[in-house]
Amino acid sequence: MVVLRAGLCPGLTEEMIQLLRANGIRTVVDFVSSDLEEVAQKCSLSYKALVAVRRVLLAQFSAFPANGADLYEELKSSTAILPTGSPSLDQLLDSGLYTGEVAELMGAPGSGKTQVCLGIAASVSLGLKQHVLFLDSTGGFTASRLYQMLQARAEDKEEQASSSGAGPAAALQRIQVVRVFDIYEMLSALQELRDRLSQQVVSSMGPLKIVVIDSVSAVIYPLLGGKQSEGLAVMMQLARELKTLAREFSLAVVVTNQVTRDSSTGPLKPALGRSWSFVPSTRLLLESTEASWEKATTQRLASLVKSPRQPTGIQVELDIG
Amino acid sequence: MQRDVGSLPLAPALRARLVAAGFQTAQELLETGPCGLSKEIGISKEEALEALQVVRQECHGDAARSAGASGATRKCTALQLLEEEQAQGFIITFCSALDNILGGGVQLTKITEVCGAPGVGKTQLCMQLAVDVQIPECFGGVAGEAVFIDTEGSFMVDRVVDIATACVQHCQLIAEAHQEEDHLKALETFSLESILSHIYYFRCRDYIELLAQVYLLPDFLSEHSKVRLVVVDGIAFPFRHDFEDLSLRTRLLNGLAQQLIIIANDHKSAVVLTNQMTTRIGQSQSTLVPALGESWGHAATVRLIFHWDNSQRLATLYKSPSQKESTIPYRITSHGFRDVQPPAVSQNAEGTEMNPCKRPRREEEK
Repeated sequence: MVVLRAGLCPGLTEEMIQLLRANGIRTVVDFVSSDLEEVAQKCSLSYKALVAVRRVLLAQFSAFPANGADLYEELKSSTAILPTGSPSLDQLLDSGLYTGEVAELMGAPGSGKTQVCLGIAASVSLGLKQHVLFLDSTGGFTASRLYQMLQARAEDKEEQASSSGAGPAAALQRIQVVRVFDIYEMLSALQELRDRLSQQVVSSMGPLKIVVIDSVSAVIYPLLGGKQSEGLAVMMQLARELKTLAREFSLAVVVTNQVTRDSSTGPLKPALGRSWSFVPSTRLLLESTEASWEKATTQRLASLVKSPRQPTGIQVELDIG
Repeated sequence: MQRDVGSLPLAPALRARLVAAGFQTAQELLETGPCGLSKEIGISKEEALEALQVVRQECHGDAARSAGASGATRKCTALQLLEEEQAQGFIITFCSALDNILGGGVQLTKITEVCGAPGVGKTQLCMQLAVDVQIPECFGGVAGEAVFIDTEGSFMVDRVVDIATACVQHCQLIAEAHQEEDHLKALETFSLESILSHIYYFRCRDYIELLAQVYLLPDFLSEHSKVRLVVVDGIAFPFRHDFEDLSLRTRLLNGLAQQLIIIANDHKSAVVLTNQMTTRIGQSQSTLVPALGESWGHAATVRLIFHWDNSQRLATLYKSPSQKESTIPYRITSHGFRDVQPPAVSQNAEGTEMNPCKRPRREEEK
């Protein structure tokens, strides 16, 4: 529903717009769906000019159908599978995180979501030498823990040599961290990323392949609920932003979510409601293997709750220590 | 910069009108100008002007960010963060076992939550931290001031005097042992009066006062830039009783958590909260869990749970982004929060060292 403006396409001048508006044509949809001969007569404008404008507007604003075979070829050439750094988790995700999709990690507090996110960032940065964007909204990003993970991984692969590009310090430089504590800050950070990628600005960012957001529910929770529907609208805005980023720029997007209960004894369910549950295509639930907090352990159980490729209900054990 | 209209921080009714009138990006709004805008949507010129100012601020904020001014926008590489973290200090608790499991002490720029049953020592830890944050840097502290927000009324000034006196004596002993210049100089300013005068105390009686205090805190902190610790003693108390609408409670708590993490980050201070415990009745047993529900659990970055084991006080690190979960014993003496002494050293002194303000908790015959 875009309103007709003077600069929208060459040939659309201010007087033209005033005349059109006087006859009830305000938006692009009105213009394109009206009978141009009638319009030419009523507004005393040249028919040729109107047809030219309509052609440009259609080219600019309509969606083009694509062939399924072409889509498949494009997908095959542009999708990458990123290993998460933990073989059991890769097994759960059908060999890793797929670019072009949004994956969600959910769990109770202390279940290890931030640890898994740090592990994914470490694996992509050190193993694949790709850049990672980490949006932190809870303050849980601890660089020293990430460094610990990178060192452990580098020891495994014997890449301690400080050749350019390898080594934990270089890997740390490839991970960019943005601290956003508000939904609007998060949206502006994501839109800024989109602008940068679409203009293909080759800055310190480099080839970005994965965006990790920890956590999405911390910024949306204060807006949801009650009688205000604004929270839902902004949440869907965020969802659209994430999916556009994933799909258009072939990025893998990983988000973390909380879990809540209906009542104090009900079962755990993911936060943010049913509307959000349609956004990620893969959902993983992380739980501790011990029922109460009295026995401390680093073992976690990851179960697949939603996936487009694997049967749900598969569980694997993880060690986040 | 093609910012979508739906993502700008405007009032919802205004946003709905803008979208209905056909505006999609912020660029279009700026091109229309206030007069055109007020005519299109049917709002007054002043409202249109205000809205455009907000939009312009957002867009210019974006432009400044993309031009590389990353100072104000909290964006950096992980390597820079690592260097920052390694240079940061910790607030020690005087209990070395607790400091060890926390990775050095209470971390700045993070929210630490302390949960426990009544009488286990949460307020004692808070008072200890309010004194410890002021330890001068040459003794290993962060030389900051403290803000203490009290909702339960459990802050006892005479107890703080005891803790502070013990801390000053401890530092004097260190200074005598090492005999360095800056130690003696620091000791001149580190006295009981200065410690007490640098603890800013606020008393909040209900949740509205608490929310107001936290939202006003950034202004206070920008005037007192040396504050390195914000303690909220009893975040559960105002929210637990007398609250019918649970979804409102969740929303308010989450908003509070986000505000606190912004404060912790922007002013480089540690935020310490204390929480109560509640009983969850499961199928076959009941367990003690931290109060305020599941969603509150995500607010704190580090979670400590204090509990009893017969007559021994234990602290468990339950949630931390960088340390492993573990449990250590601690005790509370007349000097404050301390380690459990190894049994060979002071068996007899244990009885007299018990906190005089607390009913002694011992077995029948000791």
